[in-house]
Parts: sequence; structure tokens; C-alpha cells
Amino acid sequence: MDRRAFVKRSCLGGLALSLDHWGTSPAFDQDLIPPVPPIHVSEPVGTQVSPLRMPGLYPGRVVEISDARSIAANRVSQAVVREMLEQGMRELTEEKVLHRAWSKFIQPQDVVGIKINPSGAPACCSSPEIVREIITGVQSAGVPARNILVYDRYAYEMDIGSYQALVPKGVRVTGIQEGKLDTSGYDPNIFCEANFFGEWETRSYMANIVVSGVTKIINVPTMKDHSAAGVTGCLKNLGYGTFNNVDRSHRRPFSFTDPLIGIMCSVEPLRSKAVLHIMDGTRMVWHGGPLTQNQNFIFPAGLIMVGTDPVAIDTIELEKIEAKRSKEGAPSVWARDPQSLTSDSAAFYQDAAKNFFYRQPHHIAAAGKLGLGVSERKLIEHKLVHIS
Amino acid sequence: MTSNQQNWPTLLCNNARSGGQVPQPWRAPRRVRWQIRLEGAVRGSPILDGELLYVPSLAGFLNAINIRTGRLQWKFKATAAIHSTPSLSLGQVLFGCDDGKVIAIDAASGTKCWEMASEDEVWTSPVIQDRTAFFGSADGNLYAVGTEAGAQQWKQMLGGRIYSTGHVVKGRIFVGCGDGNIYGMDAATGQVLWKTETGNGIDCSPALANDTVFIGSQDFVFYALDAGCGTVRWRYEAELGITSAPAISGELIVFGCKAGTLHALHIRTGKAIWKSRIGQTIMAPPVISGSVVWIQAGDTFAVNLFDGRVLWKANLGNSVQSAPVVTEDVVYLASMEGEIYALE
Repeated sequence: MDRRAFVKRSCLGGLALSLDHWGTSPAFDQDLIPPVPPIHVSEPVGTQVSPLRMPGLYPGRVVEISDARSIAANRVSQAVVREMLEQGMRELTEEKVLHRAWSKFIQPQDVVGIKINPSGAPACCSSPEIVREIITGVQSAGVPARNILVYDRYAYEMDIGSYQALVPKGVRVTGIQEGKLDTSGYDPNIFCEANFFGEWETRSYMANIVVSGVTKIINVPTMKDHSAAGVTGCLKNLGYGTFNNVDRSHRRPFSFTDPLIGIMCSVEPLRSKAVLHIMDGTRMVWHGGPLTQNQNFIFPAGLIMVGTDPVAIDTIELEKIEAKRSKEGAPSVWARDPQSLTSDSAAFYQDAAKNFFYRQPHHIAAAGKLGLGVSERKLIEHKLVHIS
Repeated sequence: MTSNQQNWPTLLCNNARSGGQVPQPWRAPRRVRWQIRLEGAVRGSPILDGELLYVPSLAGFLNAINIRTGRLQWKFKATAAIHSTPSLSLGQVLFGCDDGKVIAIDAASGTKCWEMASEDEVWTSPVIQDRTAFFGSADGNLYAVGTEAGAQQWKQMLGGRIYSTGHVVKGRIFVGCGDGNIYGMDAATGQVLWKTETGNGIDCSPALANDTVFIGSQDFVFYALDAGCGTVRWRYEAELGITSAPAISGELIVFGCKAGTLHALHIRTGKAIWKSRIGQTIMAPPVISGSVVWIQAGDTFAVNLFDGRVLWKANLGNSVQSAPVVTEDVVYLASMEGEIYALE
């Protein structure tokens, strides 16, 4: 029998979290977007809340390291991203000695999960080169390879990224589930519950790996447009990569990624364990995310962002993707034009003006309201370092 | 209908990875003779011996399916998931498991004969020659064990994890490694004779012809190396990483890259003869049969060997890693979710 105790809380603010933005949305005025249903959370009672929990040691701080040499001919340079990550960790922590920078987040007794994003593999996924450098950093804090776990939700997507072969010996590489319907890797007592569209399963459960398999998580999202959420960055990689049954939050053309993404990230123990976020921005998908393989929409941005505040990093990411879309003549991710909607996958993957959903980039600000970080641009300390 | 089957005892039919090379005129499959759903997803490839098709699954079962009836004859439960493509030798089926074991099963009855343990998962296929099984492990060792009882003959630590199935010929074994090196080794002792560095890790399995080792790397490059010393004879650049093991037919060498493109090169020069974008991604090895290249790349494709034209395709379960067994009248293949098809 499971002797842990659990408590339910209701995020009645689901609608309120979104309302300030939706109130100004033409689609909302025209009754094009349905209201957010109540979202209930079941989480363990008495979870020890970590002082490192999101937004972590450096709320509002985003360190962006850019180096054009980090990606050439679509290949990521191991040597260059090593230098970028080392400098990023020093800038974030203001520690000159690198292993001390890592030791602010990781202790030798930790079991460290590295949450990657392989969902766009092979065209755009968390670079194995960056993952290898993160492993080196974690090891410098005294963690043995056997206590480092590279993971994501779908094992088959990790296979496509070849992570198994490309990480150092001893490091474990694990997918939470093998197929769409495999629920064996999830904790039945920790979940988010909501009925969005009349679906038969209204719960999304938290992965056992997060609940009991690791003590710390380093989040390694990619920098991508997302057809339903607006962008996928730290928050979506963490929330939708930790809970199952998340596709149900969006049904064309509507999306409840706002506020579900932020609510999921607020659930313990996920919130306490996610102590560091390292966004792989060597490539930027500015349209067609999260799955596109169309290289016309993948830009060699050549940057890495490091921080403990997922909201602040995603706010900068959103700004960058918006700027790129504007430069390319694509509609804003905030646009709510019914004419842009399509149900034709071929159209979506070839035309940056088309989309399946009304995107919900406001999920980032909604997460900020839940205390996960800083979304107000003027309050974000954006440290820029250009190496080359 | 009686199947005119041939044996297909290991990955891509035989140790030469010939894919069978059945000389037959092309005709598209007309119907599904049978299909069966196994417990668990399938990543490895089926093998065939007589009337039994052996299929590994991630639920940890080695399944033996009777090809006349399409029914399960027996299944063996291992202690972990099986990614490894099995190999047959002297009445035993050998395969690796995710808990590091390599297990030998009696091919007729499904009872365990022996097992041996490495330190990490074994996704590679055991290569059997002269009563010795060679396999690589994610623990970084290449192992040689006797096929009678699994006694270790030697092991050799390489610089990274091993997900490349070795190629054994004339007393030598060639294998790629996660450290980015291609190794040429003495099959009797495990001694490293040469190694050649590439720009990223390798999970592609090599092929060999004309004293040349052919292998792809995650650095996007396909290499042809002198089998004697590892010197690069030619290199060919693809669009993305290469996991798909090459298949050889005459003067052509065919492989896929992760961009979903099938490439056919001239075996001596490395010049592209054709390339054909067929799927979202390709990781599985192609199988050449007569004038046709069979490959699973999301959909299952039959492609003209001489010009890359798609002759036939079917949506049969999204597999991107498993390779089919191609006999004269039936093609056996596994979907990602564990559906097994016999197409005739």
C-alpha cells in the first residue's frame, strides 16, 4: 500500500491566469476560444520544498552566450559549446571556478536527471554535444556517471537522436514510455485533472522518474515555435515532458496549454527538483514546431541560454522567435486570425502563415503568476555574452 | 499456400549482410498472409529459421512465430527489454538484453541454454562465427564468447559505448563506437589493430567488400576505409547523421540517413548514383533483394535499386529501426508497436 499522503488543490485561477490576455484577444471577443475549465492538482503532502526550486537561485537572470562558430553546416561544435557553457555557468553564478558553479546546484550524492527535448529529432533536438558537456559539468560536482540519467517521455524519439550511443559510458539513457498508451512509468497519485474537450481520460500523471528516480533535474529544452503553445522552451519541455496524456490539452484550433503548462511545472516534487535550465539555441525553429523537419524554418541561431528561472528564459526565447518570424514575414505567434488556421499538415509544414491552433504564448506569463519566475521584460536581467 | 522460405539466421540474413539477394523479378505484395500482435513494441529485426520467425520485443520477450499459421509457437521472457536483433547458431538463438545479459535459447523449444552478463545494455546483434559470438555492449567492451556455454574468450574495452554490430571476416572484426572511432581488431584476441577517428559517435553497423569497410557516422559522413589499416579511401557527406547500416549489391552501396534520404553510391569511388527522399527519417538498414531495396522508414518502402524510384509503399506501423526478412514469396516485417506482418 502506498503510505504517502496526497492533497488536491484546485487551480480555479486557470481562467484568471489567462484572462488578462484573453480579454484583449479578438478571438476571445468573438467567442472563438472557450473558457478554461477548472484544473485540479493532486500532489504529495509534506514534500520538502527545496530552496533551489523554481525560480531557483537567480530569479529573473538569463545568461545568453552566443558564438556563431557553435553551429556550422548544421553540425554543432563540441569544442565551441564547451566554451559557451563554461562561460554561461560562470556568468550565471559569478563563480570563477567552474566546478564550484556546478556545485551550487548539484551535490555528489544527487541522482541527476537531464531532461532533454528529442521531439524534433533528428532535425532539431537537444544537441548531444551540449548534453555531453552538461554531463561533464555534473561529474565535476562529484556525481558518478551511474547517477546521471538522460531522459525524456518517448523512448523512440530518444532513439532517433542516437543519445544512447553518444553519451559517456555509465550514464543511463531512459524513455519514460514506449508507446502512446504506456502508463507504467507514471505515479497514479500525482496528477493534474481537467476535462478540456470531453476526453475519456481527464488526468495527466507525473513520471516516476521525476517523483522518485532523480533528486535534481537539469532541463535542456530547444528553442522552438510551437503550434499550440506559441513556443516550446523551458516550461513546456519540463511540464509536458513530465506528465503523460498532454496532447489532450489542445484540439484544433483550441489550446489550453495556457495555463496547463505552468500549472504542471508548479506541482511538487517537479518544481523543487528542476534547479537549472540550459536552453539549446544552437538551432532555432521559427515555424513548424515542435516536430518540423523542414530546414527552411530552422535557423542556426548559435546561442545557449542558462538560468534557474524558466519563465525569464522563455520570455527571452519568445522575443527571439517573434523577431525572427517578423523578419521572415510570418505572422506573430500572438496572432488570432481564423484565416490562418489549417487542418492540412502539408500546408502547415510548408507555409509559415498557417497554423493548426490559436497559439497560446501567454502560458509563459501565466507561469510567472504561479511564482515560477519573472515574465516582465523590464525586470529580467538579460546578460549577453558574444564570444565570436 | 506453402512458403518457399529461405533461412535468415541473423541481421540482414548472413554475416556478409547481403540481405539475401534473392534473384527475383519485382512484384508488389498483394495481400497480408497473416498478422499477429506481440506484447510490447519492437525495435530489433526478425530472423527466420525453417518454419519459425523469431522476433524480440521491448516487453522482454523473444517470440517464435510459426510462419505457416502466423501463430505464436512459444515465447521466452527475458529479464529486461530486448532491442537486439537475434542470431541463430547450431540450434540456439542468441540475443542481448537491456540489463546487459546475452542469452542463448534453444531454437526449437524456447528454453534457456545459457546466459552471460556484461555491465550495461546490449542492443547490438551477436555475430556468430566458428562457435564464437561477438557482441558490443554499452559498457564499452566488445566481447567474444563461446556459443556452447557462453564462456568468455576475451573482452576488449573501447573508448565509448557500443551500439554498432560488428562485422567479422577473415579473422578480423570491424566495429563503430560511441567515441567516434571505427576499430579494426583481431577476432582471435580482441587486440586493436587500427582505429580511425570520425567527427562524432557511431551507432551504424559496418559492411565489408573489396577489402574495404563501409560505415556511417553521426558526423553526417559515410566512410570507406582500407580494411587492413583503416586509411580513408573515400568519404561521402549526407544531410544528417547516419545510423542505417549499408547494404551492398554489385557496384552499389545503399544506406539511409536521418534526413529521410536513401543514398546509393558507387562502391569504388563513393560517387552518388542516386538519392531518394522517402521518409521523415531513416535509421533502419536497407535490405536488397533482386532489383529492389526494402526499407522501413515510418512507412515501409520498396525502391528500385537502380534509380531510387519508389515502387511501392505501405503504412505498416511507423517502424524506423527494424529491417524486414525478404524471402522469395513473403516479406516479414515488424511495426514499432509490435504488429508483425507476413506480406505475400
